[in-house]
Amino acid sequence: MEKGGFRVDPVTIDTTKIKTEKKEPETALEKLEDTGLISTLLAARERKGLVLLTTIDQVFNWARLSSLWPVTSGLACCAIEMMAVAMAHHDIARFGMEIFRASPRQADLMFVAGTVTKRMAPRVKLLYEMMAEPKWVISVGSCANTGGPYHESYCVLKGVDNIIPVDVYIPGCPPRPEAWLYGVIQLREKIKNEGYGAKWGLNK
Amino acid sequence: METEQLLLNMGPVHPSTHGVLRFKLRMDGEIIRDCQVVMGYLHRGTEKLGEMKTYLQFVPYTDRLDYIAAMPNNYAYVKAVEELAGIEVPERAEFIRVLCMELNRVVNHLVFLGSLLLDLGASTPIMYGFREREKALQLFEMLCGARMTFNYIKPGGVREDLPEGFIPKLNEFMKDMEKRVDDYEQLINGNEIFLLRMKNIGVISAEEAVNYGMTGPSLRGSGVKYDIRRLEPYSIYPDLDFKVCSYPEGDSYARYMVRIDEMRESLHILRQVADNMPPGKAATTQRYGIAPETGIPSSVMSYFPRIFTPPPGEVYSRIEAPKGELGFYVVSDGTTKPYRIKIRSPSFCNLVAIPSMIVGLKIPDLIAAFGTIDVVLGDVDR
Amino acid sequence: MNAAEELKQSFPESVTGVGLQTNKPLAVIKKEDLLMIAGKVKEMGFDNLSVVTGIDYVDHFEVIYNFFSYNNKQNLALKVILERENPAVDSLFSLYKVADWLERETYDLVGIRFSGHPNLVRILLPDGWEGHPLRKDYDMNKEQWVTIGEDGEDIVSTDGSGILRRK
Repeated sequence: MEKGGFRVDPVTIDTTKIKTEKKEPETALEKLEDTGLISTLLAARERKGLVLLTTIDQVFNWARLSSLWPVTSGLACCAIEMMAVAMAHHDIARFGMEIFRASPRQADLMFVAGTVTKRMAPRVKLLYEMMAEPKWVISVGSCANTGGPYHESYCVLKGVDNIIPVDVYIPGCPPRPEAWLYGVIQLREKIKNEGYGAKWGLNK
Repeated sequence: METEQLLLNMGPVHPSTHGVLRFKLRMDGEIIRDCQVVMGYLHRGTEKLGEMKTYLQFVPYTDRLDYIAAMPNNYAYVKAVEELAGIEVPERAEFIRVLCMELNRVVNHLVFLGSLLLDLGASTPIMYGFREREKALQLFEMLCGARMTFNYIKPGGVREDLPEGFIPKLNEFMKDMEKRVDDYEQLINGNEIFLLRMKNIGVISAEEAVNYGMTGPSLRGSGVKYDIRRLEPYSIYPDLDFKVCSYPEGDSYARYMVRIDEMRESLHILRQVADNMPPGKAATTQRYGIAPETGIPSSVMSYFPRIFTPPPGEVYSRIEAPKGELGFYVVSDGTTKPYRIKIRSPSFCNLVAIPSMIVGLKIPDLIAAFGTIDVVLGDVDR
Repeated sequence: MNAAEELKQSFPESVTGVGLQTNKPLAVIKKEDLLMIAGKVKEMGFDNLSVVTGIDYVDHFEVIYNFFSYNNKQNLALKVILERENPAVDSLFSLYKVADWLERETYDLVGIRFSGHPNLVRILLPDGWEGHPLRKDYDMNKEQWVTIGEDGEDIVSTDGSGILRRK
């Protein structure tokens, strides 16, 4: 091997090592075996090659949850806490989320941070619809969750989930930055378990 | 050259409008020919809700008007109710209230500084501003457990007395902060780009500013030395030593400088208040109105009048909030709930002047001028 | 002698009552003479119109103007009493530019018309909203929904199907 670099042998599959008995796969493990992944791994181990074994879901989910870009859609009081979360003290950059996008086209997460009034509701909905899939919504604060202190008001929407689907609700008026980060962690857990792989218990 | 005029929509979701405000601009090339401000995207019906709540229950709603500086909102409303109901407040409570309000003024100006510079394209000052703000918020947390929406000042006093170790922490903060203000000035004031963006932008004369109903630092940036803390003194302000900062130019830079100077003055006030804090109770010891039957022994219950009925009448009471004149018009009909609450918010009235300030300028100048007016949309729309 | 009594002396016919608004001088005036008296008030040095408040007293409306003088450090409040049906009063826009928005807000929430106002449209609620919320007879249970129309303008309707999610 040359100094300063490294070389990886291409993984070749020794077909004689693969079992050819055909049996309908039943359990999750058998289904996985049926895809040939396990034999690939075994073959690679024999040749001492470098193999990264994963499921496509897992890779996608990992990529998605590691750089959630939120859209700047501060509505009311909670937006100031959103700024506080993004600043140095609480530092949301630890989650790869420090890039608040002004355009919904470039974002994949929306914080509904503040009171959604009847007049603002169609704009929030439009903003959500403009975001590209996959997209997630975190409803922050009592106002966005249920209407909160303004529940009785004539011009406040009683919960943003009336107009758009919500993934995580963070209570508080406004939520502390710690609560905010906890909500973000919950969303990451949720994204981690998305897709078929999660149903088979493979994303753990 | 004749060009077609273009209607440009800015907002309601725009990073530089500090919330949900919308400008309808008529553009001639790059020049703004006409500006129409559309608001109400955060109108939550606070005034109507006030008619459904008791006097004490409305205090938390005032927190959510100007949510960057909530203490003065608490105080303005409570002052109106106290004037209406004739509630006496002990001296220590007044000292704590002034301490809270001045600390909140510093916080407000820090957020102003950060967000203005962010709008102008400098992303470092907001980090500094929020770093210091976080320290001040820790002080507020010591006081009342909340970071932004305090619900701390109540009719008859404040909710809790100062906790142990508060004054030393405050002194530490002030010592730190005084150096920081100098740092900000060194960092920002001489910056060529900053000066070009701020000087002679958004100019408004003193007469016009008064006629447009501007108040607070925005008005003092036009050279009118008007401060309610001096003209119509309330609380313990007559005994305090501070000067009213004003600059005669009337442009964005003057409004910015007023706020920088005010931070220093607020720290000066804080020092006086912290050094002369009198002993005693932090809430009234007299019983007003009816205490509800809760079964809790009276030694545990503080003396706040929880339900009380001010005599019929009306009062307009104002204070100098960090953004300008904040007034509450409260009408009582002799029941436990206010008949009408009208909020005169500084942001709303300061915003009236924006169209006249920016016609003939370019959109980046609108951002600069709008940033120095320092509005909060919760305060504009209520 | 406070400013309200001074007004009473100058205009004995227009000023129907003088009193105190807790601690500020208050003059009750005839609604026809508001513009004239406001002109005089401005001459007296009251250069700041602080607030315009409309109050619904079920059988009548009241509009209260709070003035402040920067030079003389004086307060003055004017009160106008309006009838219940079609309440209207002159606009002070020609004297105080801040009255533009303050009057629009009073029109929006209380439903008092200001004649002579250049642009008397709703300011906080969208155009087309039914009712004035700060009136005592406003129906709080009535649901009104907003959708976006052309050029970002609001369209108000009682049907929320265009905005609500199907659950």
